[in-house]
Formats: sequence, C-alpha cells, structure tokens
Amino acid sequence: MFDFIKYKYVSIGVSLALILFGFGYTFAIHGGFANSLDFNGGLRTVIEFDQSVDRKKLETYFGENNIEAVLLLLDKEKNHYQIDIGLGSIDSIFEKYKQKNALKPTDKVEVSGIDALISILVSDFGITKSKVLSANQVGAVVGGELSSTGVTLLGLTMVIILAYISFRFQFKFALGAIVALTHDLILTVAFIGFFQIKPSVPIIAALLTLLGYSINDTIVVFDRIRENASGNLNETFGQTINSSINQTLGRTFNTSFATLISIVAIIIGGATELFDFAYVLTFGIIIGTYSSIFIAAPLVDIYDHVIRRVRG
Amino acid sequence: MKSATWIFLPLAILLAATIILYPNFAQRELEIAVRKEFSTLSPEQKKEILSKFSEHWNQEYKQSGWDIKPAPNDLKDEEYFLVTGRFITSAKINQISQENPELILEAKNKLRPTIVEEWVSKGRPLTIKLGLDLQGGMRVAMKGDFEDYASKLRESYIKEIENLKKTVADPSADEKEKKKATDRLEEIESYFELSPSRKLLELEKAKLIIDNRLTSQNLTEPQVRIQKDQDSIEVSLPGVTNSSQILEMIQNTETVEYRLEENDNSAGNGLTYGAVIQQEENRVLETGKREDTDIVKYQNLVKQKLGKTEQDKFLLSLEDKYKIPKDKYRVFAYWARGSNQNSPLLPRRFIVLEKAIALDGRDMRDARPSFENNSFGYIVSFTLTSNGAEKFFEITSQNKGRNLAIVWGDKVVSAPTIRGAIAGGVAQIDGSFAKEEAVDLANVISEGALPIPLRVLEMRFIGPTLGIESIEVGMKAVMIGFVLVMLYMLLIYRLSGMVADIALFANIIILSALLSLMGFTLTLPGFAGIILTVGMAVDANVIIYERIKEELQAGKSAAVAVAQGFDNAFWTIIDSNVTTLISGVLMIRLGNGPIKGFAITLCWGIVTSLFTSLFLSRLIMDILVNKLGIQKLQIGFKKLES
Repeated sequence: MFDFIKYKYVSIGVSLALILFGFGYTFAIHGGFANSLDFNGGLRTVIEFDQSVDRKKLETYFGENNIEAVLLLLDKEKNHYQIDIGLGSIDSIFEKYKQKNALKPTDKVEVSGIDALISILVSDFGITKSKVLSANQVGAVVGGELSSTGVTLLGLTMVIILAYISFRFQFKFALGAIVALTHDLILTVAFIGFFQIKPSVPIIAALLTLLGYSINDTIVVFDRIRENASGNLNETFGQTINSSINQTLGRTFNTSFATLISIVAIIIGGATELFDFAYVLTFGIIIGTYSSIFIAAPLVDIYDHVIRRVRG
Repeated sequence: MKSATWIFLPLAILLAATIILYPNFAQRELEIAVRKEFSTLSPEQKKEILSKFSEHWNQEYKQSGWDIKPAPNDLKDEEYFLVTGRFITSAKINQISQENPELILEAKNKLRPTIVEEWVSKGRPLTIKLGLDLQGGMRVAMKGDFEDYASKLRESYIKEIENLKKTVADPSADEKEKKKATDRLEEIESYFELSPSRKLLELEKAKLIIDNRLTSQNLTEPQVRIQKDQDSIEVSLPGVTNSSQILEMIQNTETVEYRLEENDNSAGNGLTYGAVIQQEENRVLETGKREDTDIVKYQNLVKQKLGKTEQDKFLLSLEDKYKIPKDKYRVFAYWARGSNQNSPLLPRRFIVLEKAIALDGRDMRDARPSFENNSFGYIVSFTLTSNGAEKFFEITSQNKGRNLAIVWGDKVVSAPTIRGAIAGGVAQIDGSFAKEEAVDLANVISEGALPIPLRVLEMRFIGPTLGIESIEVGMKAVMIGFVLVMLYMLLIYRLSGMVADIALFANIIILSALLSLMGFTLTLPGFAGIILTVGMAVDANVIIYERIKEELQAGKSAAVAVAQGFDNAFWTIIDSNVTTLISGVLMIRLGNGPIKGFAITLCWGIVTSLFTSLFLSRLIMDILVNKLGIQKLQIGFKKLES
C-alpha cells in the first residue's frame, strides 16, 4: 500500500511548479498563447491567384514582409487561396503599405488593415480587384462565444457541483473536487500554452471532456472514502483516505488506460484534424487521473486537519 | 430480478435502435436530376460535358463504391442519373451538382428514403447529419445593414409624410384632422426607430427568405441561424466550396418597387430632366465621341463589375450635373436588351423618377413568369395584396398618361404608360426578359426581397476533400479505438469483460439511434461527447467489476458477489454521472454552437450508459450466474472461485 497522504505536500508542490513553469514558459519564451483567427480575430482573404503563383511563392512573399500568414488552398483548379493573417501582423502590413505609397514611417495610415492588405497584394501580384473574392476582418468567433457564456457557464457549473457534492457527501469533499477541477483546467491551459496549440472549437471540446472526466474520476475516489469512513474508528481520516485511494487504484488505472486507448488511436490513426483535440485530451486525462489521487483527496485531508485545529 | 422475462426489454430497445440506424449503413439511392436544357444541346457539346463528368466521376466517386446508372457515357434523354452507394453525404451531393453546372439541375437532387425512413419517420431522413467541421463546406456570417434599411423605409413614406405635413400646416383644416395627422406622423416616425426586438423581427424575416432561396437551390442541409447579439445571420452550407454565386444569391437584396416618372414640366420650360439629359447626350454623340456619353460611361462601370456603390456614385454625380432636386427626384438607368434576345441586359438610357416609392414589395402577393407570344421574351404577371390593389387603383386613376416605372433592384426594367385605372389587383411587368430573369423577378416578388441588406462579416471554408478525408480517417480511428477498448476489457475481465463489451456496444447503438431520431447534427465537439461517453461507460463497468472482485476475494459466492458488487457500485456510478449530467444540462441551457453540441451528446450518452451499465449488464450477469449457474467468474488475471 502506497502512502499517498504522506506525500501530499510534495504532489501539491509539483502541481504548482508545473503550472508556474507552463505559464512562465508560455509567456517568457513564446510571448503568450498561440494566436488563431478563431480565437483572436484577424484578416481573412480569399484570392484567385495567377496559375504561376504557388504556395511556396506566397510563403516566401509573406516571410520576406514579416507577415505571419496561414495559407489554405481552397480550389486547386482555380488557384483560390485563403489567407489568414492574425492581428499581430497588422503593423507589418501597414509598414509595407507605407513603403508602397511612399509615405513616411511617421505618417498615419488612413485605411483599414484589410484595405491595406488588399492594396499591397493587388499591386505585388498584379491582380485586379475582382480576383479578391472575399476580404474580411474576422471577429473572434470562438473567443467571443467563450467570453460571453463561458465564464458564467463555468462559474455556475462549479457552484451547482459544489452544492450537489456537499449534499451527497460533505462540504470538504465538494471543496476538494472543485479545487481539483480548477487545477486540471489551469494545468491543461498551461500545457496548451507550452506546446503553442492554437485555440479552436475542438480544443474547447477537449477541455469540456476533460472536466467531465475529471469530476467522474474524483467522485469515484471520494465515494470510497465516504464508505470507508463511516463507522470506522480505528483509522485516522488520513489513513482512510489512503486506503481508499489504494482500493480504487485498480479501477482508476483500468478506466484511464481504456479511455486513453481510444484517444491515442486517433493520433496513431492519423486523423490530422483531430490531433490537437487528441493531444489536449490525452494530457487532460492523465492530469485528471493524477489530480483525483494526488490533489483532490489530499486536499480533503488538509481541510479536515485545518477544521479540527480551528475547532480545537 | 426475474431476469428471463426482463431480457425482452433491452432486446426490444436494441432491435428498435438497430432499425433506426439502418439507413446510415444501407445502400442508398440518389436521384441526380439532369438539366432540361441539356437535351437541346448539340451531340458534340453533350459528349464533351459527359466525358468530363465521367472522367471526374471515375476519379472521385468510383473508389467510394458508388455506382451510377445509366452510365454517363450512354446517357441519352434520361431525366436523371440514379446513384447507388453507401455513406452518401450531403456535402458530396452538393459537390457533384456544383462541379457540373451545365449538366446537373441543382434543384432536384433527391436521396430516396429507405424503407425504414418511410415507415418510421414518413420519409424524413434518419441518417445522422454531419456538421461542417466533419464534412466540409462554407460558413458565412452576415450583418444586417440597418442604416440602409431605414433610409429605404423613409423613401416609401415620403409621399404620406408630405401630405400629412401639409394638413398640419393648413390653417383651413379642422382641429380633429390636424390631430389625426400629427398622430399619424408620430406613428410613422416610430417606424424608423429600430429597437432590438424590431431588428430581430427583420432578421427573422430575412432568415425565412434565405431559407427559401437555399431550398430552391436544393442545397442539402443548409442551416440558417440568427446571432442575436451581433445582428447577424449565419449560414452553413455543407459541401459548398467557394461559391460566390451562392453568396450573391443569399445576399441579393433586390426589391421590386414602383415609382412615377417625373412631371411633364419638372425642369421648367416644358421640359423634363430626362429630356435635358437626352439633349446633352445627343449633343455629345453628334461630336462623334460615343465613349464620352454618360450612358456609355455607365455601361462601362457595369461591365467592370465594380459594385453597386460605384454605380450609385455615378448616378448621384448626374443629379449634381443636371441640378436635379434631390429631395424630389432620383436618376435611374433604364435597362434593356439590344435588338436580339441574346444580347445582355444593359443600361440603355437615363430616366428620372420621383423619389417617393409609390408601391413596394409589401404590396405584392404572388408572381409567375409567362411567355408572351406577340412580344419577344418573358413577362411576369403578379397579384397585389388587397391593400396594394387599392393603392394601385388610386395611382392608376390619378396619374393617367404618366409613366409608372417598375424598378427591380436599381434597374428600371419597364415603364409603361398608365392608360386608365386598373382595378382587381392583377398586373404585368413587361420587360422582354430572358427566362432566368423572369424566374428571378417572379421569385423576388412572390417570396419577398430581403428586408435588410446583408454585409459579409466573415466567411470560412472547410475544404470538402479535407473534410471527407478527415471524417473517413477519424471514423476509422474512433472505430480502432473502440475495438481496442473492447479487447482490453476482454483481456482484463474475461467473461465479465464480454458482458461489458455487449453493454458498451448496445450503448453506442442506442445513443446513435437517439441522435438519429432527434435529427441531431454531429460536429467535432459532439464527437468528443461520444468519446467521453465511451470512457464513462467503461468506467461504470470497471467500478462494478472491481467491486465484484472484492466481494469474491472476501469469499462470497458468485451470485452474492454479483448482487453485492452492483449494489455497492450503484451510488458511486449515480453520483459521478449526475455531477457530469449537471454540467451537461447547464451547457445545453447556456452554451451555444459547439458547446451545446458537445453537451447534447454527453447528456444522452450518460442516460444510455446508465441504462446499459446498471440495467443491461446486471441483467446479463444475473442470467449468467443464476440461470446458467456459472460459478467461475474470471475477473482479472487471477481466477477467482467461490
């Protein structure tokens, strides 16, 4: 029997260190989270290029001008390219626009980012305006959707889960579950930042899946603790927690392994579109499993200790 | 539990679920309609189109095992092809008709319902719909331009406001009438105020019209959603790649309205502004410079397709040039064909009309194109609403001898002279139209124009081939994952693992059938919900078996261990599922789009997995232990016996 409770401060420390490292790395090395048009908004144009223009040519062009662009070939026959440019490259576009129009660097540009972009593309690739099939300043769809409802949603869910667990178990369990849940969310977000995974709808789906999984996992452990604690006077609460974790270890391992199999199959199976989703979920499930054993249950013990001391 | 009798319930449910899922896997028949015009083409043209089609077909669709009858090579005058195959997605259907515009008539493709669909849902498709992210397509978000809307609305009330103001200012009018007039003025003014609820109403109207337009294009499974907080409408078109044509059709805000031509003496000296413009044009023409006439300049603008704003600017500049009072009149172009019917519809001369709109789209009810023998081209006959008929009668009786211009979009397409009062509310627009134009015009009149102009906010494409590939690979990956999970369960729990596998399989079948019945659109987040469901279902079984294992280790008999194991696991499973269900229900209530899709699959997945793990699994285990008397339950690597 492994003594999980003994190492509770070590595991909490490890978690905190990981979180700090993840966010530190994200901001210090990468300068923040990866940008995506879905999340941050930006410029999206669809242009019909001359047949001589290929991906390579476009890539060098944007590279030379310090514009970060994501290219997507929409129509091979007509050579339609979708060009996504994040808001971060707007300055480079304006710079290029000033050069083209013989403006001084200090001059103010009177046109919008999207118009400046079109103007430089039209002149540099010698296309007529009618070849610009669409050009839009794209709003942050996913970002907007999340910020408007996501926060309330998350808050409300947490409150109701807190109430349910307090009702079915005790408040200390509810608290442990909520902290563990928050821990999983934060750590996974740190992971997303560390690997610069682009935020998108599938990533949100992965985060939601992870939350569902993590709660489920935590409750199973708690349920055992509750069962073992009732009427058991020979053990301290910490010992009960410890033996409960050990008793559910087989189940925890089997379930996590089975779930991981189905997700790893996505990665091995080569469904590229689902890769980001699968990575985040793989990491999330490992974290979720870890947190229910090393974070949630020990936290209940710590809270129990604190309450006992306060009450004398 | 009287297991033997209870077993019929899950069996019946499973049978029903399998029947509902049948259309998803069945060999299906798709009718692809061939254009009527195709039969009128010359044999060489036909051959060329067909060989292109067949080449493409063999390249793209043969490998999906789709068979086409009659073979494209020997198609003669058949009305449609019949395609048989499995997994025919709406994206593919749309793709085929978009790739072959000369051959395939978009409006009539039809997936024949299977027997199951005819019986269960009266022909409504029972296949699980796939979201754009899974099958590819185009999504456009368009914002309603309410400023433009308000200014157009103002024009339609100009006449009435003018009259009312006259009444108010008239010293001879009695107080009662003045009061009535001021009230009415206030009422009209309130029309121009666009409250959020009012905007929503207009957006809903626009949504309805876009729906109609898309249906008439026979795009399979288009979705039109209103995004209230952004005053915008989002359209999802599976399988449609960059189709500016469809976008144009959705955005088309052309309206039909009637405006009276200017007075006989509007420019003074017995001249009209129209006549003044014409004199100037003739003078330029006499100098031999045809290109310098305004009408040719305007034609060039149109030919360059520079957009409506440029054209409007040009017409406005004419108003300035000829000092036409802007509050009373507006310059339009009269569009017509050249001497033969195949020449393009182009602006031919300028015409000056009253700014006030005499009749508009709301006054018209229904329209259809018809072929007029004595003129060349099509005409459109239409019926007016009772209110419109009244107004029409009033206009025609009061303005005998004047021209009433019919303005379609911003084109004057016909300006017949009013010969006398027309009652009864039936009239015709004679513009010698080509057939397509007559159909378009009739559609605009009968289904109504878009109430608000829509500006594209954003457009995104998910490459169809990318989508299809990803779904095929994705499906395979999920299948592999599923099989691996089942093998793992079998390996760890042996006979009991088999029971768990049966429960898991039943779970997926029942869940898919439920989603099919609800007409749910499966997206990537929905997919995630299903994966989580599999995880939770596996978990439930694992919890149960671990409990049974403990009971067996404590030395209990198999029958007791099974009963105890299920009882002990019951509340754990309920608690863990209920908490997840709570967050799921909240996500359905509050979330939108992707979050909602995830939550719906998750919630139903919890319901089905509770049923299969707590009821079905238990039932089978009960039968194994109590009826079949199996005492050796192999759970785990060690053989545990009672």
